[in-house]
Amino acid sequence: MADAIRIEGVRKAFGRMVAVDRFDLAVPQGALYGFIGPNGAGKTTTLRMIMSILFPDVGEISVLGNPSALDAKDRIGYLPEERGVYKKMRVGAFLRFMARLKGVTGSNISKSVREWLERVELADVANKKCEELSKGMQQKIQFIAAVIHQPDLLILDEPFSGLDPVNMRLLRDLIQEQHERGTTIIFSTHVMVQAEELCDHLVMIHRGKKVLDATLADIRSDFDPRAIRFEALDPKADLSHLAKLPWVERSRIKGSTGEFIVGKNLSPADAMKDLMKHEPAAKIEVHRPSLEDIFIKIVADSGEPISDEPAGVQTDA
Amino acid sequence: MHKTIQIAVREFVATAATRGFIVGILIAPILIAVMIFAMQKLLTDKAPRIEGEVAVIDPTGKIISGLEQHFKPESQSKRREELAERIRDAADELPQALQTPAAEGLSQSIQEQGIDLLIGEGPQLTIVPLEDDADIEREKDRLYENGDESPKRLALVNVHDNAIVPSGPDDSLGTYDLFVAKGMDDRVEREIRSGLRSTIVDERLKNAGLDRKQINKLTTVARVASVTVTKEGEGETQHAFNMLLPAAFMVLLLMSVMMSGQMLMTTTIEEKSNRVAEVLLSAVSPMQLMTGKILGQMCIGFLVLILYSGLGITALFSFAMLNLLDFSLLIYLGIFYVLAYFIIASLMAAIGSSVNELREAQSLLTPVMILIMIPWMLWLPISRDPNSTFSTVLSFIPPINNFVTILRMATPTPPPFWQVWLSIAIGCASVLLCLKFAAKVFRVGLLMYGKPPNFRTLIRWIRLA
Repeated sequence: MADAIRIEGVRKAFGRMVAVDRFDLAVPQGALYGFIGPNGAGKTTTLRMIMSILFPDVGEISVLGNPSALDAKDRIGYLPEERGVYKKMRVGAFLRFMARLKGVTGSNISKSVREWLERVELADVANKKCEELSKGMQQKIQFIAAVIHQPDLLILDEPFSGLDPVNMRLLRDLIQEQHERGTTIIFSTHVMVQAEELCDHLVMIHRGKKVLDATLADIRSDFDPRAIRFEALDPKADLSHLAKLPWVERSRIKGSTGEFIVGKNLSPADAMKDLMKHEPAAKIEVHRPSLEDIFIKIVADSGEPISDEPAGVQTDA
Repeated sequence: MHKTIQIAVREFVATAATRGFIVGILIAPILIAVMIFAMQKLLTDKAPRIEGEVAVIDPTGKIISGLEQHFKPESQSKRREELAERIRDAADELPQALQTPAAEGLSQSIQEQGIDLLIGEGPQLTIVPLEDDADIEREKDRLYENGDESPKRLALVNVHDNAIVPSGPDDSLGTYDLFVAKGMDDRVEREIRSGLRSTIVDERLKNAGLDRKQINKLTTVARVASVTVTKEGEGETQHAFNMLLPAAFMVLLLMSVMMSGQMLMTTTIEEKSNRVAEVLLSAVSPMQLMTGKILGQMCIGFLVLILYSGLGITALFSFAMLNLLDFSLLIYLGIFYVLAYFIIASLMAAIGSSVNELREAQSLLTPVMILIMIPWMLWLPISRDPNSTFSTVLSFIPPINNFVTILRMATPTPPPFWQVWLSIAIGCASVLLCLKFAAKVFRVGLLMYGKPPNFRTLIRWIRLA
């Protein structure tokens, strides 16, 4: 299948600050891609370049087979990170205006606006002014504006920020539904858990560079679990002798609990057996790395410091 | 194109349907109506009549009786009547507005009130003759000592010995000294002076054996209104109209350009600060967005222009002066509006897109405001001398050329045709230049948040775009 988006050797700098550098990416049609990375990593800049709101200094971007998104604007839905509505405009009028701008014509505009408002449980606000809505409600209106013209490509920049858990689930279902309809979807987030829940393919950006581009399954097998968490039965037990076992690569011990990284010469299963031989266990498990752990590992391996705000720690979503 | 029109329509509706706009557009006519009404009301309230006495030391012995005659109520009201007659004659030279049958009743009463206001009610003065050898210093003291006594001593006049009959070594004619109380109304002083002058002149003429009436008759030439001769016929020259029409045209142009330009800046800042800008940019290009907004606001300006010039035409029609207006001027007004608007609008769009809130726009707005104010300052010299080198050169300097040319065209001696079209051509060229500049700033500025830019930053953005 043809690629919905193809990015080749893109670089974008604002003055001396390089926002995106040597970026290559191919997103196949119908895929659901997640862009993850800390704040200021270059996610929004990349998405804006895909949208042809910004233009790369170097490199090529093709969107839905066109050399620029400008030629395919009516087939793309975009929910920017900095979202806003016309405060004084009525919700229904705003959505109809956006639909017309997106090339929807004919008499069914009003009907589909009404249906969408019902879908997001906001059927009664059509005649209210946008400024009367709460932030979460406005965000749902924004989402409708992005999908009302049934786009082939949907780009969502931090779609979940500012939503409560109920609305977050509603939005996740709506995104899933668009995905099932065959829409290619890219969304960005700095909250790794959301990406883990929703995406089948992840692109990790750090300091303007792509540091990871793989399916979730591949990532899991690549970062195969080699950490064993152990809790001794005796709360007063001293675990320091376990750290000296020959297969232990690294260990972290805190009282009667410890985490042991298994060396390459032994399988995690054998390591577990060995541990239990030396000390009776209250609890023992293989710890599967979270996306957050993987991200931190990649960044640590790249030898660059993580940004001031650690990834995945934000709790605002 | 379809999207640009959508943007323009939204811009127009969003601006025209606000309470602020409707109030703003109606406030000027309402204010004018209120002013006329209030003026009428205020004019009917007369100031209280001033009463008092004037002490006169008259060594010639001929002044007192003349002065007493002068200040008699009968002769005062007679003079008043004569003065009113002269004012009425002068008023006849004003536009026909004040004489048409439609405005007759209204204008008559306004005229009478105006005359009342101009002349005021004459002060009632009593002449108190003093002895020739009266102590002047003591009499002067009475001007400030006379607290509450009535009638109040308002002035002291000391007529010189030779005021009427020349005397002394060089045969000169003397005058008089006038001492007045503090804070005396200047109308009273004027009245005393004119009384003394008239009495002294009368006595001098009598002394020289001349007849005052004869002299008055010989020295008076009646003033007539000039007659303008045109192909269509002859008519009274409309001085006031000829002066006011150019100003009216320029004010119309400035007002509509300012109003729509300001609105454009406000809505652009609103879109930026509300963060709608990026949502819109996902559907339209920056150029489409800017063009749509500029076109939408242009219609707002046209609305203002049509409304106010419509009011003006209605007014001219009701005063039967419509024939004085050359309708081709209205078409030129439209052309120059579009040119002037595009220049101001592109500057406003650039400013609006580069700042985050209205407050930050002030420093960038100042130069634009100065540009707009220049024609105001030039109105008088240009309308006096519409074809001077000064006026001609100004009508080729953008962006004020548009205002200056329409001003010159509305004067009785419009500029030659080639100058008008050269000015229009220069206007078109500067419009293209401004739009190009604005488009670059707009594209970069709209997504740029943070520190408001100065002019150097704007130049950098232009290079960046």
